[in-house]
Amino acid sequence: MKEMLKITLSLVAIFIAAGLIMGVTYKYTSPVRFIAEKKEKEEALKAMAPDATDPINPAGNWTSSHGKPYEYYLATSNGKPVAYISSTAGKGYSSYIAMLVSLDTDLKIKDVKILHHGETPGLGDQVEDQGFLGQFKGKALSQIVLLKTETKENIQAISGATISSRAVTNGVKDAVQTLVDKYGSGVKMAAQGVAK
Amino acid sequence: MSNDVNYGTIIKNGIFGENPVFRLALSLCPAVAVTSGVKNGFLMGVAVFFVMIMVNGTVSLLRNFINPKVRIPSYMFIIATWVTVTDLVMAAYARDVYKQMGLYIMLIVAFAIVLSRAEMFASKNKLLPSIVDGAAMGMGFLLALVLLGIFREFLGKGSLWGYQILGSKPLLIMILPTGGFFAMGLMMGWLNWIDRKFFGGTGGGGGGH
Repeated sequence: MKEMLKITLSLVAIFIAAGLIMGVTYKYTSPVRFIAEKKEKEEALKAMAPDATDPINPAGNWTSSHGKPYEYYLATSNGKPVAYISSTAGKGYSSYIAMLVSLDTDLKIKDVKILHHGETPGLGDQVEDQGFLGQFKGKALSQIVLLKTETKENIQAISGATISSRAVTNGVKDAVQTLVDKYGSGVKMAAQGVAK
Repeated sequence: MSNDVNYGTIIKNGIFGENPVFRLALSLCPAVAVTSGVKNGFLMGVAVFFVMIMVNGTVSLLRNFINPKVRIPSYMFIIATWVTVTDLVMAAYARDVYKQMGLYIMLIVAFAIVLSRAEMFASKNKLLPSIVDGAAMGMGFLLALVLLGIFREFLGKGSLWGYQILGSKPLLIMILPTGGFFAMGLMMGWLNWIDRKFFGGTGGGGGGH
């Protein structure tokens, strides 16, 4: 009985000490981390639409097929829209891959940026390579289809990282679909106006 | 354990004699998973290096306090604490490094090599030798990963540290998981051969640890 108490106490003491260390570390590091992440997000947004001169503000929210809320933004230059941006994510192999997607005013993809993810190093994290992400540039909504064969029209999956590739593709597609739904009709009218 | 500690022996032991990957054959899972590139292997090695020093130091300091009957959960908790603290601090103060290494840090909790050195060495030795052992073992792990990374990335992608050298991919299989096992086996055999030929060793026994 005494032995049992001793064992329990020694374990509990270690657990409490460890918990305290982690708690204190979290308390002091989380505000710094929060500010840094917020700043990074603002910088990332700016990088998505470098030609926007006005500050980029959220234009609304949308809910993805996996039930999470995301924001979309309208980037303007002297009041005229130059890009549509949306945050999005896809469910990968071991994490949600969080991304930003921006569209040109003709609704083609301008840029895709991965903000953070927790995919397997060496396999899933290859989705960050420009060789894969670069494929999205200039694609329209109907072209965002993941294939396992070589393709120029669509998106080619990374061998050994199909699930992560699919996650990125689905996330991008969700975001593009949303942006087209929100801004598509206005763009068409503007384009017709220019054509005249 | 004798009182006069030979640090040179500990260091040599960690890097060569009992190299975590090539001799003890521990933590092979991460060693195969992350060595598709030199950079990945190096970053993972650095993270393990620091965690091992901190864990070995803590376990050594608490070695008379930890009850032998519950030592494994105690070690696990110490490891998890240091890994979490490393993760939190890096996420806040070293954003650029964290973006590169963040993926690897949380994985370290489950590494056999960290737990094994806490049990085999730190729980029986004083603070300083334990820290040196952690550093030596961490360094041995790091070197093994870099060696595997060089081998696999060069043959599989024709590049080193992400920079293209060959311009072609001589043996694509090397960067796939299968190639990881090939590379590891070849490297182990090669090191054993060197050991026998030039140092009169008996080669790695494997197992037994």
